[in-house]
Amino acid sequence: MSSHVLSPAFEDAAFYLSGASSLSAVSNTIKLELYGLYKYLTVSPTPTTSRPSILDFAGRAKWDAWSNAGQTYGDRAADAESRYLTIARNLGWNEGKEEDVQTVDFSSISQQSKEYGSGGGLGNSVSTMAMLEEQSGSAISDLAISGDTQQLLSFLGAHHEVDVNETDENGYTPLHLACDRGHTKVVELLLSRGADPSIKDPDGLTALELAEISGHDTIMSILKTT
Amino acid sequence: MSLSQKAKEKQVASPEPEQPVPDDEADSGSDASDEEHDVTATSSSLPAASTPSTSSKKKKKKKRSKAVKALNALRTGHTDGIPQSMVNAVLEKVRAEGGEEAANADAATVRMALEQMKIKDVIQGKAGIGGKNKKDTGDHKFWGTQPVPQLGEEAPLEDGYIEPSKPPAEVRQDPYPLPKDFEWATVDISDPAQLREVYELLSANYVEDDDASFRFQYSAEFLEWALKPPGYFMEWHVGVRVATNKKLVAFISGVPMQLRVRDHTFTVSEVNFLCVHKKLRSKRLAPVLIKEITRQCHLKGIFQALYTAGVLLPTPVSTCRYYHRCLNIKKLVDVHFTMVPPTMTLARMIRLHKLPESPRLLSHGLREMEARDVPQVAELYSKYTSRFGMSHIMSKEEISHIFLSGGGEGPRTTSSWKTPRERQVVWTYVVENPRTKKVTDLVSFYSLPSTVMNSDKHNLLKAAYLFYYATDVAFAEKAEEDGHLKKRLMELIGDCLIIADQCGFDVVNALTLMDNVPILQDHRFGKGDGMLNYYLYNWRTAPLAGVNPTGDVAAGKGIGVVML
Repeated sequence: MSSHVLSPAFEDAAFYLSGASSLSAVSNTIKLELYGLYKYLTVSPTPTTSRPSILDFAGRAKWDAWSNAGQTYGDRAADAESRYLTIARNLGWNEGKEEDVQTVDFSSISQQSKEYGSGGGLGNSVSTMAMLEEQSGSAISDLAISGDTQQLLSFLGAHHEVDVNETDENGYTPLHLACDRGHTKVVELLLSRGADPSIKDPDGLTALELAEISGHDTIMSILKTT
Repeated sequence: MSLSQKAKEKQVASPEPEQPVPDDEADSGSDASDEEHDVTATSSSLPAASTPSTSSKKKKKKKRSKAVKALNALRTGHTDGIPQSMVNAVLEKVRAEGGEEAANADAATVRMALEQMKIKDVIQGKAGIGGKNKKDTGDHKFWGTQPVPQLGEEAPLEDGYIEPSKPPAEVRQDPYPLPKDFEWATVDISDPAQLREVYELLSANYVEDDDASFRFQYSAEFLEWALKPPGYFMEWHVGVRVATNKKLVAFISGVPMQLRVRDHTFTVSEVNFLCVHKKLRSKRLAPVLIKEITRQCHLKGIFQALYTAGVLLPTPVSTCRYYHRCLNIKKLVDVHFTMVPPTMTLARMIRLHKLPESPRLLSHGLREMEARDVPQVAELYSKYTSRFGMSHIMSKEEISHIFLSGGGEGPRTTSSWKTPRERQVVWTYVVENPRTKKVTDLVSFYSLPSTVMNSDKHNLLKAAYLFYYATDVAFAEKAEEDGHLKKRLMELIGDCLIIADQCGFDVVNALTLMDNVPILQDHRFGKGDGMLNYYLYNWRTAPLAGVNPTGDVAAGKGIGVVML
C-alpha cells in the first residue's frame, strides 16, 4: 500500500467529513468504517497497537474497524480510497467544491434536535447502556435480527445458495434469532423457505423455547401449528 | 462526556493535517506577576488557592486591549480564539489516555477538533457546551463571572478558595431581580402540598437522557429525605413562582455538609435539583437561580459549594461514568435501555444476568442497619471514606438521617430484604460479626426511578443507585494489593445486587468512584452513556481520580462522595 498515493480528492473528502454536520446523524457502523478506512489509508494497513481491552468498547470497536479495513482491502488501497470517497459523497461531500466548514451552523443543528429535558441543570445525570452497533458476522443473521422482511426477501432472492438452516459463527440459525427478537413476519418467511424449528441453539434451546423465554406468544403459536 | 473524549471521538473521521504547532509561549510574559487575590484575603480562615502564573489570566484578559489581542492572534498565527492552555490541556489528556490516536495527536489536531466543536463559541459566550438547548448553565458568559476554575486553567500549586469569603455586611441583601411576572418563594418542604409541587415540577421537567427516553422521577419522600438533612436551611430551598397564579416553575436547592477535599475540610452547600419548567427554558432563569442560591448560602456564611451535572461546565474537579447492572433484562430491552448483542439471544442474556435468590452474607451476619448501629457505622464510614480524595464528613446525626430515615414505613423483619417497605428510598445493610458483635461492613443503595417516555408497555424504570459502602477489610495491610478488599466488595456489592433484584428493581447503577472500578466488570455492569461531572464552587484543587486515574491515584479513588 505504500506505493499508493492518496489523491487530493481524499484529503478534500477527509477535511469535509471532519466538519460535516451530516456525520452526526450517521450510524456508528458507517463512522467506524470511515475510521477504519482512514487509518488504513493514512497510517498503516493494520493497527499498530495491540487490541484494546474489552472494557474499552469504543477503542476496541475502532481497532476492529481498522483491522477489518486491512483485511478487506489488503494491498488494494485504491479500492479502499474509492470506498471512502463513496461514503463521503453519500454524506454530502461534493468533489472539487470548496465546502466552507466554517459556515456549518452547529447551534441551529442542535436546535433542530429534540428538546433536552434538563436544560443543562445541576444535579444527577440520566444514563442508559452505551450502545455499540455490533454485527453478528453473518448477513442473514443481521437481517433476522433487524426484522426487515423486505430486505431478507431480496437477500434470499439474490442468494439462492444460502441454506436458511446454516448457523452463524455464534451458533444461531436465522430462525433462532427471529424467534428470540420477536419478528413474526420473518419467522413466517423463514418457515416458508424450509427453516427447521427443531434445531437447537448453543444453549440447547429450540426456536420455540427461545420465543417462549422472550414472551412472543404469536410466534409460539405459529411454531406449534407448523 | 469530557472534552478530550469528544475531541477523541471527533478524530474518528478527522484528518490530521500537517500544520505548524502554534507557539503561544509569548502569551504568558510581562504581566504574569500581576497577582489579583490576597489583597482582601483576610476575611476567611480558609486558604486562598495559589495557582501557577497563568492563573492571573482572568485579570490579564480584562486589561489587555483589543488591539493587543488582535496583535497576539496575528503573532501566534491562529485566530480561532482557542487559548493555547486549553489546547495543551486537551492534548495532555489525549496523550495520557493513550489509544492508537495518541501517537498522532498534536496541538494542531486538537486545535482543529476544538474548532470543529465550536468551542470558541462557548469560550466567547455564544453557546453552551452540549448545544444550544443546554445553554442555561453551559453559558460561559455566566460561568466566566463565577469563582470557578475556567476551562483550560492549569492545576493550582496549592488548594484554596478563589475569592475570599465576604463579611456579612458585604453580602447582597436583596434577591436578584427576576423577569417580570415571576417571584421568588422559599419552598417549605415540610408542607406536603409544597413538597408535592416540587415533586410535580421535577417529574415533568427534570433531567432526561440524551434521547429523551427517560426522565428522573424523584419521589416526594426521596426529596424530603434529600432536602432535610440535619442542619438544613429552609431558605436554601429556593423556588420561582408565577406572580399571578403562584404556580411553581423553577427550583434549586442546597443542603449544608462538611466536605473534605484532600487535606482541607470546610462547610459547603451541596447544590442539587436545579430545574426550570420546559416552557421557560428561554428565559435564562438558571443563572439567576444559581446566583440566588449562592446569595442565600453567603447569607449563612457559606462560600463554597459542591455540585454535579451531566453537562460539561467550567470546570469539573472530576468526571465519573455511569455503569449499569441490568437485572430485569426483558424489560430493559423492551424500553430500549439496553439491547441484545447480535452475538447472543435474549434467553442467554437473561441467563448470564441471573442472580442467586438470597444474599450470600445472610448467614454471616448481614442484616438491615438499625439505630443501635449508628456509632459503629459512623466510625467505619469515616475511616473508610478517608481513603478517598474527597469525602463527606458525617456526624452521627447525619449517618442516622442518611442511612436510616429514608428506610420507609413498616416492620423491619429478617426477610425485609425481599420486600420494599412503603415510602422506602434507601436500603442500608451492615454485616455484624456473629462472634464479636462488631459491625464490619456497610452497604447501601437508594431508589431513583425514571419515567419511561416512549414505551406502551412500561411507564417506570425502577433504578437502584449504589450508595455508600465500607468494610474493615480495607484497613488490613496490603488489603488492596493482595485482592482481599476486592473479594470483600464483590461479596458486599453482590448481595446489594441480589437485594435490589428481589425488591423488584430493574437495574442497579454505579459510578466510577470510590472502590467501584475494579468490581464493575466482574459483576456484569455495562458501560453507560452518561457521565457525571463533579464541580467545586469557589475552591481550587487539582483534578481528582474519577473515570480516569490521576497521578498515582487509581480510577475512582479521588471521589468518595455520592450525590443523590
